[in-house]
Amino acid sequence: MVKRSILHMLDPMPNNSPFDINMAMDAGFDVLMPYSNVKLDSVYRLTQDAIFSRGPAGVKRTGIFIGGRDLGLAMDMLDASQQAMVPPFEVSVFADPSGAFTTAAALVACVEKELKEKHGKELKECNALVFGGTGPVGIATGIIASLAGAETALVDHLSIDTASDVAKAYNRRFGCTLKGACAGSEADKAKLVVDVDIIFCAAKAGIQVLSSSVLKEARQLKVAGDVNAVPPLGIEGVKRGDSGIPLIHAINAQGAVGVGALAVGNVKYQLQNEMLKLMLKTDKPLYLDFRAAFNKARDIA
Amino acid sequence: MEKPFILHMLTTAKNLSPFDVNMAMDAGWVSALPYTNVEASEIQGLVQDAIFSRSAKNLKRTGIFIGGRDTKQAMDMLKTAKRSMVPPFEVSVFADPSGAFTTAAGLVAAVEHELIAKFNTTLEGKNILALGGTGPVGQAAAVIAAQAGAKVRIIGRQIDKAQHIADMCSNELGDGKITITAGADADKAEYMKTADVVFATGAAGIELLSAKLIASAPHLKVAADVNAVPPSGIAGVDAFHNGTPIYGSNSGAVGIGALAIGNIKYHAQNRLLKKMIDSDRPVYLHFEHAFEVAREYIKLNA
Repeated sequence: MVKRSILHMLDPMPNNSPFDINMAMDAGFDVLMPYSNVKLDSVYRLTQDAIFSRGPAGVKRTGIFIGGRDLGLAMDMLDASQQAMVPPFEVSVFADPSGAFTTAAALVACVEKELKEKHGKELKECNALVFGGTGPVGIATGIIASLAGAETALVDHLSIDTASDVAKAYNRRFGCTLKGACAGSEADKAKLVVDVDIIFCAAKAGIQVLSSSVLKEARQLKVAGDVNAVPPLGIEGVKRGDSGIPLIHAINAQGAVGVGALAVGNVKYQLQNEMLKLMLKTDKPLYLDFRAAFNKARDIA
Repeated sequence: MEKPFILHMLTTAKNLSPFDVNMAMDAGWVSALPYTNVEASEIQGLVQDAIFSRSAKNLKRTGIFIGGRDTKQAMDMLKTAKRSMVPPFEVSVFADPSGAFTTAAGLVAAVEHELIAKFNTTLEGKNILALGGTGPVGQAAAVIAAQAGAKVRIIGRQIDKAQHIADMCSNELGDGKITITAGADADKAEYMKTADVVFATGAAGIELLSAKLIASAPHLKVAADVNAVPPSGIAGVDAFHNGTPIYGSNSGAVGIGALAIGNIKYHAQNRLLKKMIDSDRPVYLHFEHAFEVAREYIKLNA
């Protein structure tokens, strides 16, 4: 009898995310087991408990998912889990804290596609701002964009120090070149967007990041992408399902286009789905993080 | 391929109730996932995570259950959950803290059935005493009965607490459209002189109504007890009673015990969990819907 597939879902938060649960179920895992309040130092033991109980055939039907809200912690957990493997007792591990890796990968891939199609540009020829830049999706977006060559700044809405600290911490860790910025008011935003090529809106759900008056200030904006699907949406004039439609309010930026949250969401959805399926299909164990997610997102977009 | 049915089960407690988990699985949910120690402030985030990860079509195969121990908190969470939906991204939600809503629905529906069957009357205008009525089941039963037209008085050992709960039931659970009164346990002999119905919803193993008080009640018609652990909450009513005459009642009252109520509760909860699956549009279910399906069940099976 074929063993049922099991996904052990490790989360440092008090609860798993229903998003990840729905996704894992829909990707075909038979059984989902939530583990909440997981600390980094328990990951080694949890991993070994998972690998030594099913035999070499059974481990192929077993996976570990790492959630949470903290990117660095999720990456540490992914490393700890990988180190705990004892081949051939080894399972695939996928880190996607708050869905941030797949959301960010989808967002950057969608924006990159519009950049190429509408403006004939590459990420490495552009500079970018990430609003909501100190949250999980914002940070992951920044890292991916920066590693792809865009000169990228993380924008915090309260503090330049927070933004700079976060940027430095992740630069050290992943070898990217992020900067920090702060925009607490419409006037601050207006100043920041003047000479930017790309804007990523990764702020909280229900927050409008770019109003028409801010968009009006942009002079060389090419693409703006949004991940907020809860009204009011992140970019005024861009609907959830829009993909590459002109930014009507960016009257001073020729040919600027927007990508809405559902357009990004569709790619993210497919991406997370395919990565979860990959864990079930693969013959040798995979360790999946935002880099793997971005490579795959580019294929999908 | 059809996506599996997923029920996200939220509770403010540190664990789910295995009762609710079994019920959910048996109603047809394929996967039931626990979310524990959930706070009111987390509801919006959890709900939006649940709705944005499936297509509108597959959201029909997704649901949220709200458990916990507190009736008002569960209703507040239900309201927050409803407000957090972003149509067409929307799922059904069912609140049943401690099973209190479905238990209360079973209790009131069973009492109503006896009133109709044995006394040819209804809940309308009846004087009801909810003994030990300050807990979740007592609260929900009081509200359901009051909404059906009964005059309900919640009886507690401390009158202040009983009054506070009665006000909460009238204003919050009942939306200010009903008035539930309060009384002290010490005064219950007086209240029994006019009582038509008694609910006993106190802690297990405490006798709330003595044989003497039963004998002293000239209008008592139905006495129902949700406690299955001896001694029973109402003298002369045991867990197996189901419209059984109460020995020593001078008004010909009948008793309803915990098993009869539990049976209706079981079917009511099962129907609501299935309604979440079968409904074409998202539904938001609580004690009122529990009472509807409890009545339906009795009508079909009486």
